[in-house]
Amino acid sequence: MKVTVYIPTPFRQMTGNRASIEVPGETIAEVLDNLDQQFPGVHDLIYSAQHKIPAHINIYVNNQEISALNGDATALASGDQVAIIPAISGGAGDDDSSTASAAAGGALTAEQVTRYSRHIIMPQVGSAGQRKILGSKVLMVGAGGLGSPVALYLALAGVGTLGIVDFDVVDLTNLQRQILHQNDDIGRPKVDSAKETLNAYNPDVNVVTHEAPLTSDNAMEIIGQYDIVVNGADNFPARYLVNDACVFLKKPLVDGSILLFEGQATVYKPGAGCYRCLFPAPPPPGLVPSCAEAGVLGALCGLVGSIQASETLKLILGIGDSLNGRLLIVDALGMDMRLLRLRRDPNCVVCGDNPTVTELIDYDAFCGGASTGANAAAQVGA
Amino acid sequence: MLTLPQSYVDEMIAHAREDVPNECCGIIAADGAGAAAKLYRALNAEASPYRYNVDPKDLLRIYRDIDDNDWDVMVIYHSHTHTEAYPSPTDTRLAAWPDAYYVIVSLEDDATPVVRAFTITDGEVTEEELAVS
Repeated sequence: MKVTVYIPTPFRQMTGNRASIEVPGETIAEVLDNLDQQFPGVHDLIYSAQHKIPAHINIYVNNQEISALNGDATALASGDQVAIIPAISGGAGDDDSSTASAAAGGALTAEQVTRYSRHIIMPQVGSAGQRKILGSKVLMVGAGGLGSPVALYLALAGVGTLGIVDFDVVDLTNLQRQILHQNDDIGRPKVDSAKETLNAYNPDVNVVTHEAPLTSDNAMEIIGQYDIVVNGADNFPARYLVNDACVFLKKPLVDGSILLFEGQATVYKPGAGCYRCLFPAPPPPGLVPSCAEAGVLGALCGLVGSIQASETLKLILGIGDSLNGRLLIVDALGMDMRLLRLRRDPNCVVCGDNPTVTELIDYDAFCGGASTGANAAAQVGA
Repeated sequence: MLTLPQSYVDEMIAHAREDVPNECCGIIAADGAGAAAKLYRALNAEASPYRYNVDPKDLLRIYRDIDDNDWDVMVIYHSHTHTEAYPSPTDTRLAAWPDAYYVIVSLEDDATPVVRAFTITDGEVTEEELAVS
């Protein structure tokens, strides 16, 4: 079955200046795919990065706009007339709160092209990649040592929606390493200080604050709103909670931890292993000290946090080799980096073949009680 | 440089005033020589003081008429009722016609409307000289 597609002048450069083209297809989506086969590039012109027909493209079947019909699933009959015309729209705008999210599907603004030019000129990113970043939603667990550099670099890169969950207030001992917060912020909630800093760097970013401890009651609801989770938690219960919630919700988790001069980073992708495959049970209470108890080199936060931010951007862009399946161990004292192979454990209680933990549990009890198979190599600091 | 007869400029301003408080929008076609051939008032499907969107059906009708006459879309105009005659971030983001002039009529100062012309390509705004003949 063939229909006639009418191409307007702005798009005729793609079709060798032909105004109407016979294209086979049962639905609008098929016709557009087939048109792209004949004239590569048409797809990028008509679809957004999310493979949706954006609002600024009007597609008609026999003079009816398809949003009034059945969208790109609209069925066609032989001889139908299809027309594709860029919408004519704009306006003074009442506010620009939609800028970042709308930019995911549409063109970049002049300011965005300039702001992100050093990313856009790299072929692995390009304007399509930048739009992916602008359309992404990342949750940062913790706005402390690791959360600071991670959130900062993600905000600078233009991550459209950046969630931050933290219930702490800034205190003087944080300022040796937590670069989101400054002297004047002492006593303020960390999420407020973080949001102010991030928006001062890049007003494009929608910073969403969750001023609460992450718990079994709210973790699914909060994490469910995001595409990727970055871990900067400073205690074992939170690490197991975030891990389990990400497994249940099938969200990639970019993990990192620091203590003394040593840091660890890895990525857990859904179906390809999790924190519990590596550390099936927490160490007995008191065995592994926290940063507050043992100390941490402030600059190490930047080292590990930048690795987490890089891994997050790679996931968003779908480029490179992720740390998934590998644990990077950074020793700042010997300045040595090692990679350990990680494997999904088929016997893992949350992501194994026969999981026994299928919903969130009481993580304080889990981490507070005596445990077997404890692994003292686990780090908790952030 | 964009050249428009005074009558076209007057007509755009009149349209902007008639549609207050909402933004108006329309299209001016040019003939093969680049001279203004016809002004089409379009229906603003948004009917909003802050947004315009040429009603899709109206757009198809106007576009077909322009193409059937072997004309081109020369100008896409709209009004800003309370802000200056300069493309907003929304205008820039949604500009899908790189070969057209975007003309904005500002009624910020009701007594003295301001009319300016731009091209918007890949998110980049360039002001173009507007000559009135």
